[in-house]
Amino acid sequence: MPSYMPGPGVDVSDPALGTTIMAVEFDGGVVLGADSRTSSGSYVANRVSDKITYVSDKIYVCRSGSAADTQAVADMMRMYLGMHSLEIGKDPEVPTAANILNQVCYENKNYLMAGMICAGWDERNGGVVYSIPLGGGLFRESYTIGGSGSGYIYGYCDANFRKGMSKHEAQEFVKNAISLAIWRDGSSGGVIRTVTITKDGVEREMVLGDKLPHLAKGWCP
Amino acid sequence: MEASLEIPKGGFSFDLCKRNAWLESQANYGSSSIIKKAKKTGTTIAGIIFKDGVVLGADTRATSGPIVADKNCEKIHYLAPNIFCCGAGTSADCENVTEMMASNLTLHRLNTGRECRVITAVTMLSQYLFRYQGYISAALVVGGVDSTGPSLYTIHPHGSVDQLPFVTMGSGSLAAMAVFEAGYQEGLERQPGIDLVRAAIQSGIDNDLGSGSNVDITVITPEGVQRFRNLDKAEPKYKSKNPLFYPKGTTKYYDEIISKVAIIEGDAMEQ
Amino acid sequence: MQAPQLPTSQVEQPKESRFSPYQNNGGTCLALAGADFCIIAADSRLSLGYSILSRNTPKVAQLTTKTCIASSGCNADMVTLQKYLKFKIQMYLHQHGKEMSTPAVAQMLATTLYHRRFFPYYTFNIVGGLDQNGEGCVFSYDAIGCFERLKYTVSGSGHALIEPFLDNLVAYKNTDNKPTIERSCDETLELVKDIFSSAGERDIYTGDFVDIYIIDKNGTRYEQFPLKKD
Repeated sequence: MPSYMPGPGVDVSDPALGTTIMAVEFDGGVVLGADSRTSSGSYVANRVSDKITYVSDKIYVCRSGSAADTQAVADMMRMYLGMHSLEIGKDPEVPTAANILNQVCYENKNYLMAGMICAGWDERNGGVVYSIPLGGGLFRESYTIGGSGSGYIYGYCDANFRKGMSKHEAQEFVKNAISLAIWRDGSSGGVIRTVTITKDGVEREMVLGDKLPHLAKGWCP
Repeated sequence: MEASLEIPKGGFSFDLCKRNAWLESQANYGSSSIIKKAKKTGTTIAGIIFKDGVVLGADTRATSGPIVADKNCEKIHYLAPNIFCCGAGTSADCENVTEMMASNLTLHRLNTGRECRVITAVTMLSQYLFRYQGYISAALVVGGVDSTGPSLYTIHPHGSVDQLPFVTMGSGSLAAMAVFEAGYQEGLERQPGIDLVRAAIQSGIDNDLGSGSNVDITVITPEGVQRFRNLDKAEPKYKSKNPLFYPKGTTKYYDEIISKVAIIEGDAMEQ
Repeated sequence: MQAPQLPTSQVEQPKESRFSPYQNNGGTCLALAGADFCIIAADSRLSLGYSILSRNTPKVAQLTTKTCIASSGCNADMVTLQKYLKFKIQMYLHQHGKEMSTPAVAQMLATTLYHRRFFPYYTFNIVGGLDQNGEGCVFSYDAIGCFERLKYTVSGSGHALIEPFLDNLVAYKNTDNKPTIERSCDETLELVKDIFSSAGERDIYTGDFVDIYIIDKNGTRYEQFPLKKD
């Protein structure tokens, strides 16, 4: 009988963003939100990761799936949009960005594990949200959620989303929804990061893990 | 026949992939085949950002399966005068990736006439690793000081990048991270910073079977780089009371040739 | 003509989950027999994968005044097996009014192991002690009860590193320099310490401490010897 004893798995597992991500349109802009957990199996490889990534001055993407794949896709997108905006001599529009993202995700669907949300503000369309799910596909939504934690908050989001929310209302909606997903989903956690994009610029916000809105406290000690 | 006469063009050769796939499919090989055995290595590597710069640390054990292959190897590699990199995973991959990157960064420096930035090295490394989809199993901790100040990154074999003030990698990363999570503070002074990394690596050496022997430390500040080889040494080995001695003739031999050899220069071989 | 291969998607394949009752907890056991003594030793590290579960879990157990057993492999099986042997030996003492001899213990272990031929104890055992004539004896086993009386043996994770050295240093294989005097008990003890500290340097599953039992006509003596902890 062989007494050879293997150590941990032969291949180091690919760090994945078991995630909760979302983006919401409001009156005059968009809010993007995400948790901050990156896991590698059961180990939290990064507890303060930033899954809301810059791709152009007023367009950001939320990443879920493989960390390596989504970072590479976001890097490509940043390059394409940079070249595109040089060509047209102004900021790129959100539908353009979302289309590029969809093309990259769809054409390489056999090699990628990337579920993305693309959102931003541009002169023509105002605040716009697009969802590009796992195998590609482009869906414009007034709000969208994604990642493993999203399954826990569809009900909450459908019940509480309203069209034409104010900026503050949209931000609170995002924070509440993500904190509920973190509460239930083991692969989501850490802090909540939000990015708010309006015609006036980009605001980043972070809610620390011990300062999350605690909507589930009604039944829990 | 022609193929064997061809001169390699450079880059990787995938000639043996088909053969290896065939070998793996054979009943007598499979999971215990040499192809898989040569792969994994255990390691503890870590780094932190302190007040003036970056401290990198590593253990010095290299393993192949359950056997210690090297008791005192170096895992902190040079990338640029202001950037160093710890490697975990397959040592051949770490060594070659870092060596190649060091060359490319030298060319980059000559082309631009500027000091390399850490993010340049990290981007080049991550794009390279991503291209090979995790098959180059190098898990890296890259640290350095550049025009933007001190910075520290990890790169996973699949090419994902994390930027954090304290990082660990390798099979001992959990043991080392436990020490960091308990002891890290922002704006640490130099000596407490070095001591924290030492403690983290020591924790990997003690608690992880894939890590062992000594602690290597590299400190990078705007003033320069200090490298400490074997800063902490493993407890002294037990000395035998009856060292082995084989008298001449223990092994039979048929012939004896004695030649005089003069050593002109060079170091004595490492013991 | 072959049909063109369609690209396969990266969707996760279904996984089969199987009953896996065994684990290897590593460790090395060693026994050397002399003319009128026997030394049986094992390290005390208990490990799994790259983790150390315990630094001080004994693998050697004393079964009678002149018999010891050392086992490596799956610790749960080892504990169960050693407990069972102790029970059988106690029953033997009650029924026959005398202690079981070392060769009898050895035979009983073989029977016990073969009894579970198709669901074996995942243990690699060594029995050592003095036989009815007061001579040192060592018995070596595989996991399913094949056994053999020898002058020396080693089992467990350090097996491949140590065995060739014992062949050379104890059996004097491949050499013409056979000493005329046999190694004394104290010299053998030093050899055991040398071997374990060397194996501990290169085998990651051997370390922490060695439990050494020295069995001679005066009875059984225990000694603990420290190894490196990394």
